[in-house]
Amino acid sequence: MRSIRRKTELLLLSSALLLFGCSEATAPPLPASGNASASRGGELHLASFADIKSLDPAVAADTLTGEIIELLFAGLVDFDDQGHVVPDLAERFERSDDGLVYRFFLREGLKFHDGSPITAKECARSIERALHPDTPSSFAQFYDHLDGFEEFNVKKTEDHIRGVVVEGERVLAIHLREADAAFLSIFAMQGVRPVCPSAGDKYDDTWQPCGAGPFKLDSWDRGRSARVVRFDGWREPGKPYLDAITYTYGMGLVTQRFKFEQGDLDIDRELLLADTFRYQSDTRWKPLGAYDIIPSIGGEEMNVEMPPFDNVEVRRAVAAAIDREQFRLVKTSALVTLERVLVPELGGDDPTFKKQKYDYAAALEHMKRAGFPYDPKTGAGGWPKPIVYPIYKQGLYESSAQVIQQQLAKIGLRLELKVVSYPTYLAMTKRRATVALSPAGWSQDFPDPSDFFDPIFASNQINDEDSNNGAFYSNPKLDDLLVRARRELDPAVRKKMYDEADTIVCDEAPWAMEYQYKYYGVHQPYVKGLRWSTVWPNFVRDVWLDKPRKVASRRPSVLGWMLGLLK
Amino acid sequence: MIELFDRRARRRFWKNRGARVGVFLVALLVVFALVGPFFARHDPNVSDFVNGATSLGEPIGPNGTYWLGTDRIFRDVFVRLAYGARLSLIIAISATVISTVIGAAVGLVSGFYEGTQGARIPYASIALGVVGLGAIFTSHGRLGGGLLIAALVVLAIAWVLPLKWLDGPRMDADTALMRLVDIGLSFPFLLLVMALAAAFDRTTVATILWTLGLTSWLGTARVVRAKTLSVRNLDYIGAARALGQPVPRILVSHVLPNVSGPIIVLSTSQVASMIVAESVLSYLGVGIAPPTPTWGHMLYEGQDVYLSAPWLLAAPAFGILLSVLGFNLLGEGLRDALDPKED
Repeated sequence: MRSIRRKTELLLLSSALLLFGCSEATAPPLPASGNASASRGGELHLASFADIKSLDPAVAADTLTGEIIELLFAGLVDFDDQGHVVPDLAERFERSDDGLVYRFFLREGLKFHDGSPITAKECARSIERALHPDTPSSFAQFYDHLDGFEEFNVKKTEDHIRGVVVEGERVLAIHLREADAAFLSIFAMQGVRPVCPSAGDKYDDTWQPCGAGPFKLDSWDRGRSARVVRFDGWREPGKPYLDAITYTYGMGLVTQRFKFEQGDLDIDRELLLADTFRYQSDTRWKPLGAYDIIPSIGGEEMNVEMPPFDNVEVRRAVAAAIDREQFRLVKTSALVTLERVLVPELGGDDPTFKKQKYDYAAALEHMKRAGFPYDPKTGAGGWPKPIVYPIYKQGLYESSAQVIQQQLAKIGLRLELKVVSYPTYLAMTKRRATVALSPAGWSQDFPDPSDFFDPIFASNQINDEDSNNGAFYSNPKLDDLLVRARRELDPAVRKKMYDEADTIVCDEAPWAMEYQYKYYGVHQPYVKGLRWSTVWPNFVRDVWLDKPRKVASRRPSVLGWMLGLLK
Repeated sequence: MIELFDRRARRRFWKNRGARVGVFLVALLVVFALVGPFFARHDPNVSDFVNGATSLGEPIGPNGTYWLGTDRIFRDVFVRLAYGARLSLIIAISATVISTVIGAAVGLVSGFYEGTQGARIPYASIALGVVGLGAIFTSHGRLGGGLLIAALVVLAIAWVLPLKWLDGPRMDADTALMRLVDIGLSFPFLLLVMALAAAFDRTTVATILWTLGLTSWLGTARVVRAKTLSVRNLDYIGAARALGQPVPRILVSHVLPNVSGPIIVLSTSQVASMIVAESVLSYLGVGIAPPTPTWGHMLYEGQDVYLSAPWLLAAPAFGILLSVLGFNLLGEGLRDALDPKED
């Protein structure tokens, strides 16, 4: 009996500790000294559960790396908080009337982190390095409108890009093959930002990152942390304010929370749902939290080549059967309902637009028209076979899938949830004739409406194995409209064209739009100057610290103490 | 035949306070699993977005309508817990039955034949057969078929004309079975079960219970073999042999009843292990697919909101804790009751 008694005691002790740990209150925010004006100095500490793989702007494309690359590498142009393109290393830029030539005029006296001057020639070299066929860049695909891009990157018949022209020491001209209204947004992204001469003409993964941003790299311990320090040669006098910023990678969400409350981390943007609710409902923390919304869309992707979604009426039924308000409740702290492709931040805020919307009676009618009438009273009818619905083990998808399953069951579409790994999910949903219905999402590459239509609804994005257009939706009218909209330079006409494209997608419903994701973050009161950008997450470039001279260390909580022991 | 649970054993059992607690907890679990769903006022798989959520979109806590509150998508936790209990019991008991039957059979045969001369192992035929099957699975049907026929021919030749170069050394059933058990025990149990469960295209109750049952008999086989070794040399077994009774009958009628005590104790404790194993599989996402309620998956769903909705974690955690405790105490009680030395 002794062994069992000991086990029992241990079980009860663990339960008690768990409950004790659960019941602890949120720690109060740490004090700020109350200075109103920005002051220099201090080190900001940030963390993430994920890791970064490269600090080369030509190849790094993930959001987490984007945060640090934005600090290390400045571009000729950049985005303001609302996503508008503004000059950065260039003091101004101009576009020719036909939209085929962009001319950038560099500021005087600019220097890279290694002290070498930034000239138009160096900018041209950086662009060609990033778009070189040997560079594993995911940005290159956006530059196909550049004059000479195909000969340089695809056919490899020319050593330089014809359309990148150095017109003087501080003047760089970009010539396009055809007008591209999204070009400036694409150019403001991080892929082709100037890199030090040490980077050479071709990508090399042993290169020590060196750019022209407000911070320069101090150290990078792969898999653990990265530290950047202020670049004193930055173009804005007196900025940046911080001496240094340290990023710690691979830190679990619970550890982040405890470290944040103890003051070892200054901002926490990776919160568990429970912690989000806690901070939001605590009056001391509420003013220190905010959402940022990087435009994205989430919804149900219906494969139009597979039954029953080859029938447009079934797709319309799905779009009408999804109660988006119920769906939002699955994760109120992170979801905003969405009923069309264009998000409000990119012009999709017209209240008169005919969106997809929840209408149960209409959904039943669509099923009837499709030839699969369903009787909600008896549960008879509908599509006769189960529909495999792949999900990967992630908080939102697993919960939302069960809600979608309930909602679609009410119109006679019976989903069979299949939990798979993330790589399997990607392989299944991007392969032709494999999955009929799946949850899908798209995050903005660059802030332009074209980025929400061309990659996921244009027929040229369909292929058999790795199709961005996972609905395999092909509509020549939409294709033509998207090509014309991309070339159109008049913003009003362009908006109309994208509204028309949105109308086609909402009506033919290769996707049933549901939500866009928003991120909640919270910071200590002494963190000032934090900006919430619609393009860059965790935008800390202009942050300054208003810390009292000495902040008393806080006694760790029971759970924090236990975590500390584990470490 | 001996009476396994005689009056003295029963008295020892009921005198044991741990055993009484075990019986109570197991009975409680069984009643909850059988009767709980009948008290359900809500469907376990349907969300109540109106009454099951707070205005902030959080699940509501325990109240008169939802006795154990609602979960993250606003379903009745009590009903899901009851259905989960039913499923856990079905899987745990069925898997234990499968595991006990296989383990007992292997242990009996192995123990009974220990030390016998054994038979020659037709290595050449086995090698040809394995290569043949491999060829068939890699779409070389004709080659594979040919190799399988060759394996049979070699087996027949070796049978008719004992050619030593076609066969290997002799091996008795005990050696063969116990080496198999050794190999099985060298795999971490949960890792093996997870790998098997993940390999299935579609995971159902049946696949989980068979996976658990077919991978957990090794310990039982070892224990039953050891007990059989001591029983097979007793006089009444010798008498049965002398009377010419066939081996299967001796095993079933005379050996099995005398080794059934440890089997019962082991299997009772194994039910607890199976409940934990099923919960771990569901927790890790290789168990039964949602929305079917399982305790392991309920734990997983509750972990993100452990502070704002602790009942989501507490309900399945206490369900697992009490049922494992119940079966373990019951097993310990049975062990003490069936052990004459306790007198």
